[in-house]
Amino acid sequence: MRVSLALAWALPFLLGSAAQAQQPAPQGSSAPAAAQGAPHPMTFFVTSVPIGDGGNLGGLAGADAHCQRLATAAGAGSRTWHAYMSTQPRPGQPAVNARDRIGQGPWYNFKGEMIAKGLADLHGDTIELARLGNNVTKLSALTEKGEIVPGLNDNPDPKDRTWAYASTHPNSNRHEMLTGSTTDGYAYQDASIDRTCNNWTSNAEGSGQIRGNVTGAAAEVGLSDRNGGGNGSWNSAHPTGGCSQEALTRSHGVGLFYCFAIN
Amino acid sequence: MNRTLWIVAACSVVAVIGASPALAQAPGPQPFPMSFFVTSVGLGRGGDLGGLAGADAHCQRLAEAVGSTGKIWHAYLSTQARPGQAAINARDRIGNGPWHNSKHLPIAADLAELNGDTIELARLGSNLFKQSALNEKGEIINGVGDTPNMHDILTGSQTDGRAYTDAADHTCNNWTSSGPGSAQVGHSDRIGAGNTSWNSAHATRGCSQDDLKATGGAGLFYCFAIN
Repeated sequence: MRVSLALAWALPFLLGSAAQAQQPAPQGSSAPAAAQGAPHPMTFFVTSVPIGDGGNLGGLAGADAHCQRLATAAGAGSRTWHAYMSTQPRPGQPAVNARDRIGQGPWYNFKGEMIAKGLADLHGDTIELARLGNNVTKLSALTEKGEIVPGLNDNPDPKDRTWAYASTHPNSNRHEMLTGSTTDGYAYQDASIDRTCNNWTSNAEGSGQIRGNVTGAAAEVGLSDRNGGGNGSWNSAHPTGGCSQEALTRSHGVGLFYCFAIN
Repeated sequence: MNRTLWIVAACSVVAVIGASPALAQAPGPQPFPMSFFVTSVGLGRGGDLGGLAGADAHCQRLAEAVGSTGKIWHAYLSTQARPGQAAINARDRIGNGPWHNSKHLPIAADLAELNGDTIELARLGSNLFKQSALNEKGEIINGVGDTPNMHDILTGSQTDGRAYTDAADHTCNNWTSSGPGSAQVGHSDRIGAGNTSWNSAHATRGCSQDDLKATGGAGLFYCFAIN
């Protein structure tokens, strides 16, 4: 059961077949297209690896640099890459909204599949767009190398909530994406409640709670596979239980995040 | 609404499956009896379900075959207006929730969450996704990447769960046609068609069983207990 499930998920990637449902974006070829060979070059990816210090990413600049570094290693370094992350207001420093940092779209993944036409589609700016949802799915939210990010129920193991295990088992569930954002892609305005691991500088332990009024160190996360969290939101499903690498892993994240090309 | 409890339940599926599949079938009273499932099989005649009554009877039959008792089951399907016959909205036929799947995990607390009645609820989405949209036997429905893909779920509905009001066919002639026409479908795995809609992702090519298969369907539909 577990093996077959994992295989079922892995199959489309292994075979390189594009999703068979109709998509407005041109379908990929029968083999995974290299980023530079696809009809639509990659302008969106999930980081294949975390920075590794929990919610301390070195601020937005550190997160952006991580996106740029991974994109460059994958042959897509000619674009300017930004992390999809918000920061909260501080004295003399206004909030930064994730949605304001990622250009206008459209954005395409490694295979050239469209993720969203623009900011309104990505965030559901009308109720109809919100109900439809964007095209961030388990099979489209690929890393810069074209890999599927393991999600809910993939290769479950009682130890998969520890960093020691997750860091050595790349196929364990790691579907929580750091965003620090509300569902519409904006920053949390209440500076007294941490939803950004102190604007991506904290690796503090936190309360361990991921539900209700989480008051300790925490980051809001979305789910790249849209499975879990009680809602399946891609960008704002729930807060983490803390900001240490261990705390992120406890709820099935490892500190991955979304990167978008702004040009 | 107790969203907190939901997240607990949604997360616990991982622990339960990871620790011991047997736990999910532990004997004794279950706190949340099944009140939602995807049909494990269709009726086999494409979009001809024998009307709403035929679809409801299919839900009831499948539910009772796995031991569901004391519940009235309805299919999540709309029908379009006809002379002397008003349209019927899928959302108006399924009770008020909350609904739980065959593993007792939450799908949605109420109609507003299920159908995204506010923009925030719509952005969040319900707890219906590939790993939770189970059939009455507790099995995951084949989706994109599985063979055969069966994720096209008949609804005949718009994204808000209501019937279409235009003249075009969105319901295989109110679930009586296995030939001409078309039906609106959602995706039980929330993948495909460039969106993640569970109830209104795209139209089928026609109403024959082969037409349904052509885009990744098998004539399956959602069933909800109304009580």
